[in-house]
Amino acid sequence: MEVRVEGLVKRYGRVLALAGVNHVFPSGALTAVVGPSGCGKTTLLRVLAGFVQPEEGRVWMDGRDVTGVPPQARRCALVFQNYALWPHMTVFDNVAFGLRLQRLPASEVERRVREALALVELDRVPGIERRRPKELSGGQQQRVALARALAVRPGLLLLDEPLSNLDAKVRQRVRGEIRTLQRRTGITTVYVTHDQEEALSIADDLVVMDGGRIVQSGRPEEVYAHPEDPFVAEFLGSTNVLNGTVGPDGRILPSSEGRLLFRAEDTALWPAGQSLPPDYAWAPAEVVDCLFLGHVYRAYVRLGDTVVLADTKARVGPGQVVVAVPRDRLLVFSGSEPAARR
Amino acid sequence: MRSPSPSLLGLVGRAALGALVLVAVVGPLLSLGLWSVAERWHWPAPFPQQVGMKYWSRMLQGDPLRALTRGVTIASVTTVLALAMAVPVAYLAARRRLPAGPLALALFILPQAFPQLPVFASATVLFYRWNLAGTVPGVVLIHLVGGLVYAVWTLTAAFRSIGPELEEAAQNLGASTTRTFFRVTLPLAMPGVVASAILVFLHSLDEFNGTLLVGAPYVTTLPVYMYTASLGYELQIASVTALVLMVPGVVLLLLLERFLRAEYLAFFGHL
Amino acid sequence: MNRWERWGWTLAALPAVLVLLVTFGLPLAQSLAASFVRDGRPTLENYALVYRLYRQDVLYTLGVAAAGVLLTFACGIHLAGYFRLRAWPWVEFLLKVPLFVPFVVTGHAMRVFLQPSGTLSLALGALGLVAPGTRLGLGEGWLGLVLALTWKHLALVVLLLVGAFRAVDDSYLEAAQGFGAGYLRQTWAVLVPMSATPLALACVLTLTSMLGSFSIPLLMSRGSGPQMLMIDLYYRFGQHGDFGVASALGVISYVLASGAVYAYLRSVAR
Repeated sequence: MEVRVEGLVKRYGRVLALAGVNHVFPSGALTAVVGPSGCGKTTLLRVLAGFVQPEEGRVWMDGRDVTGVPPQARRCALVFQNYALWPHMTVFDNVAFGLRLQRLPASEVERRVREALALVELDRVPGIERRRPKELSGGQQQRVALARALAVRPGLLLLDEPLSNLDAKVRQRVRGEIRTLQRRTGITTVYVTHDQEEALSIADDLVVMDGGRIVQSGRPEEVYAHPEDPFVAEFLGSTNVLNGTVGPDGRILPSSEGRLLFRAEDTALWPAGQSLPPDYAWAPAEVVDCLFLGHVYRAYVRLGDTVVLADTKARVGPGQVVVAVPRDRLLVFSGSEPAARR
Repeated sequence: MRSPSPSLLGLVGRAALGALVLVAVVGPLLSLGLWSVAERWHWPAPFPQQVGMKYWSRMLQGDPLRALTRGVTIASVTTVLALAMAVPVAYLAARRRLPAGPLALALFILPQAFPQLPVFASATVLFYRWNLAGTVPGVVLIHLVGGLVYAVWTLTAAFRSIGPELEEAAQNLGASTTRTFFRVTLPLAMPGVVASAILVFLHSLDEFNGTLLVGAPYVTTLPVYMYTASLGYELQIASVTALVLMVPGVVLLLLLERFLRAEYLAFFGHL
Repeated sequence: MNRWERWGWTLAALPAVLVLLVTFGLPLAQSLAASFVRDGRPTLENYALVYRLYRQDVLYTLGVAAAGVLLTFACGIHLAGYFRLRAWPWVEFLLKVPLFVPFVVTGHAMRVFLQPSGTLSLALGALGLVAPGTRLGLGEGWLGLVLALTWKHLALVVLLLVGAFRAVDDSYLEAAQGFGAGYLRQTWAVLVPMSATPLALACVLTLTSMLGSFSIPLLMSRGSGPQMLMIDLYYRFGQHGDFGVASALGVISYVLASGAVYAYLRSVAR
């Protein structure tokens, strides 16, 4: 199902939750919507589900205007952040709820429930369909919530921070499983999260939101490598921000005229005094500390009055160095003031 | 496809529900109002033939006025006594220092659970033995049963909502527990104390079962007076009295709807 | 709190305990004892008399209370569900009004409203819904009593249920709504089962209150036909001066109230 939104506006009191959102969610793809809390991503999801009516703008699903259509008539299934599994119903009854409301015959309900449970690989747990939600682990509850959503064969699957209630280990695993499941079923999926790493890793299509607007969207690699906006650059990855410009010799000069953004993993440290290839921007600096992160070392480097991060393969000791960033990894924005939105 | 604007059926249903609730709730009260001003109303005319304030003015003299002032006196005494006695119990309960805690608290909740009438009938037998039946002190004692229950529970909730760290801060500076209570805890709990007092006062003013058994016929309060009038088919007098009895409660509902907590409201269900 | 202060506070708490023991504990015990005594001898005769004279009234009381609870909750659940799903503050406020109307006033108001020549008959006649001059006999029988008891208790039940329903997170309801569950289905499949405990508590309290209702039936009944238990008790005690049988009736009402006693004691133990 292709979903298109145009000019969505929604206010809560004086807060502008959606400030004119336009986007096409491609059919069959997993679109991750990411942004800090309060950026409007959950409101967007609830507009798609039909629980929130936008004040302005339209929602199209497969070319049909569904703006005023109530949730139950949209063929959307929403997986809630807290799963919202009804505690008084068994797993079977939870998954069967939507099917029974469609008045399917009991045998068909039974078949579809088993199919949905198999899809989320809960069929391997014997007797699980007779248990109640609180007897399940967090990961299992998450799968039941997915099975309940998938059982009605929705055209659009909406996931609201689906991993936020799981602990770190389980989160990694379930993330991969959701990805696999989405590939296998081909259901158009919108996945809302505040975790940029989660969004980058899972998405076919990435949407970055801030202040009720979509700041940038595209393939995750594309957005990560070429942020069009200081906010996106700062939000994705460990990004250094310097007020300055690059001189003709490649030297970074402090200035209030421009802003330079570059990622920790693109930042190299060279011994002081060594000459650099011409395609690098550089500045003399001083290492203040170095932390071991497991896969890399992260050096804290004082550059003028700011501290920037640089990821290195080996531990670096305190002392004078040269910070060097390849010119094509350096993002230059004019003006030092933060974007008005923030 | 369904539209998001409420369907015609939904709107009609909503209007019908609103009208039904309005008629069901207001209807009986409105008929009290009609009867209270009906100087002459012969069946089956839908409205009184003669309307006037004759029966309202009667309210301001003689027996009903006496019943009203006596009821207010009894309610005032009951409120002061109930609060004075309930404060130590509630404070100890809130700080979980009540000796034999659960047992003592059970005593303060069971009057809510048991049917009142058989207990009050039995109390009447005892009061006759002690020469308390038909006296104002006897009626006050019976009103204290409900009054103490309401006061203890609302005050316990009020004291519990005051963090012990506020008291500990005062004690840390050398104040005794008792001094801390009067200088810190009680002033902070004042809104709860006021709510509690209003609740007890209203309970006493509206109490019927115990007053009828213990007080009648010598001590008559407004509810008993209304009952006698209604039974004697003095419908106008009874309706005027009934409306007067409703005034404090309804005023309270209008004024305090925003401030009264649900658990306080729940107590009114037992009046 | 040092030892002396502790003694002081406990001493200050004593009068309240004493008053309740004298006005509630002692009478309760006395009525239990008196129900097994007749003419100064221990006997079960009081209960035999209750069985002979009042067994129909016990059933009648149970029937009226059960019908009242059914009607109250049939209305209460649907109203509370409606208020939870589609907010409607002024109607919700209106329903709270009977909470502040004393039981005696309710009894009198319902008597005036529902009796055969009462204002309801007149109003329906004036509106042409029944022939003018019709005397609807709602007020005098069990139905009028059930309506009056429901009118008074519905306010508290709606208050308690709306509170319980509001404690159910929106997501549980939206999940059901997304699958096409309407107002009724959301109320009965989600709200009611998820509020089972407060619902049961409200049910027990309402049942007990209706079983022990006195002033409403006192003002509404005609004095003939089956009576509520408390009315029997009142007349047995007040007019016959028969404390033994009155106490036996009382003990039966205690037994019927045991559900509420259990519920309250459990809430104290928490």
